[in-house]
Amino acid sequence: MLGVRKAWVLYTPEINEETKTLIEQSLAQRRMLLLIGKCRVEYQGRATSRLDAGDRLIIVKQDHSLLVHRPIGHEAVNWQLSGCVFRVSIEEGALVVTSIHQRPHELVKICFDQLHLAVILNLKDQAEFTLHATEEDMQKAILLEPSILEDGFTPVSYEKKVEPGFVDIYGVDSEGRFAVVEIKRKAAGRNAVLQLSRYVKTLREGANREVRGILAAPEIAKGCQRLLESLKLSFKPLNPQKCASILQRTKTLSLTDFLETHQ
Amino acid sequence: MTDARLLRDTFSAIGILIDEATFNLTPENINLRAMDPSRVAMVDFFWPKTVFDEAAEGTGFQYECDQPQKICVNLTELLKLLRRTSKEEAVEMSLNPETQRLQISITGKYNRVFNMPTLEPQEEEVPTPKITFKVQAKVTAYGLRQVIEDAQLVSDHVRIEADTEKLVLNATGDLMGATIELKKGSDALLELQTQEPSKATYSLSYLSEIIKAASATSEIATLEFANDMPIRIDFQQPKEGKLTYYLAPRIEVE
Repeated sequence: MLGVRKAWVLYTPEINEETKTLIEQSLAQRRMLLLIGKCRVEYQGRATSRLDAGDRLIIVKQDHSLLVHRPIGHEAVNWQLSGCVFRVSIEEGALVVTSIHQRPHELVKICFDQLHLAVILNLKDQAEFTLHATEEDMQKAILLEPSILEDGFTPVSYEKKVEPGFVDIYGVDSEGRFAVVEIKRKAAGRNAVLQLSRYVKTLREGANREVRGILAAPEIAKGCQRLLESLKLSFKPLNPQKCASILQRTKTLSLTDFLETHQ
Repeated sequence: MTDARLLRDTFSAIGILIDEATFNLTPENINLRAMDPSRVAMVDFFWPKTVFDEAAEGTGFQYECDQPQKICVNLTELLKLLRRTSKEEAVEMSLNPETQRLQISITGKYNRVFNMPTLEPQEEEVPTPKITFKVQAKVTAYGLRQVIEDAQLVSDHVRIEADTEKLVLNATGDLMGATIELKKGSDALLELQTQEPSKATYSLSYLSEIIKAASATSEIATLEFANDMPIRIDFQQPKEGKLTYYLAPRIEVE
């Protein structure tokens, strides 16, 4: 048994029953497993691939996903989604790790002729991953709390088809005028201004009331302010971080919060 | 009731939250308590031996276990096999103690025997949340399913509120909103006991998956909740059986 130890490190382990058993235990107990050695890799699934012998790093994560890394390049040369089933065997002196994914059915077979290092880890990581808002998140934040754009703004629709494309948000302002909103995650440039003006032009042709164009972005690129004014469009500074904070105001708690603390 | 459908539907309802299920088997009952990987929801399942006895009066199944043990199976895989059962077919599942493989025999129009590996059981015991609920509402499982489907049209979360007279669900989406009211004495709301008016918000994707799957096993569900507390949904089961879910709330954070 591997017990509660955080890490097991085996330097140049021999390919024998003992090593095989340890690897099997690591897989059965859902540890993170690193195998570094000279190996051949075969893949069958949506396609087939073959990689002849070379030194590689194999990672089996705790959710049973698999990565095969070569010494260079940031991408894995072979990989499998989580939920794989593993089989470990010794065939003709080589340690063979076969990883099978059920749906879609895919198989990766790794034959180690030599092992340089094996590491078995019991890792804990429950931290939340946060990323500042995308353009889509900014759109959601405006829909959720329209006042961040302008007091009295009421969204009517989003991703509405307006030639020559789709407007991010379409609504009515406090004075009853139509307003088209174009959202940019970074400084809005000339293209964004022109894009917005095309939407406004299309809508003005079909509407019997005034149509405004609002560009919402963290800032506007140098020299575009004048263009914006000449096209009678307005600019509203809005940064992705603020949008992210609006979206995060509701969050789902974990049940573990209620296991002990509440009576 | 006397075919393998109850088994299949109940295991499907557990499989909504967990893939690898560790069942505790004792001579008297079979039970499981587990949280989903994100730890937002929990399922608590209990079947006394008598559930099997009742089913066995027809063409169904029996339960035998000579000593307490744990068995862990991949439910997704097991359900693929159980879904192959049709009406009035019997299922027998047995564990081979030597190979630790589970054997599933389905007998009916013709006989087939499947076998599958078992996994290392989870040793961690999950406690039940200790919550003082302020509202208890008994609803029809069908009605509950409809209500959740309504709310899902407009949003991905729903606020559930209750006073002494009614249960109200409020869903607010990006553009649309919905208010669904269940009055005391209406067809869908069978009983309502409110100690103090309460409200809490829950994820609709969890609610709908749980309710859709579990309502196949039960006609009646009991909801219990309190202000910003988890909701407990109990689906009434045959005999002393139990199928209960807990779902953590969504809260506003400033």
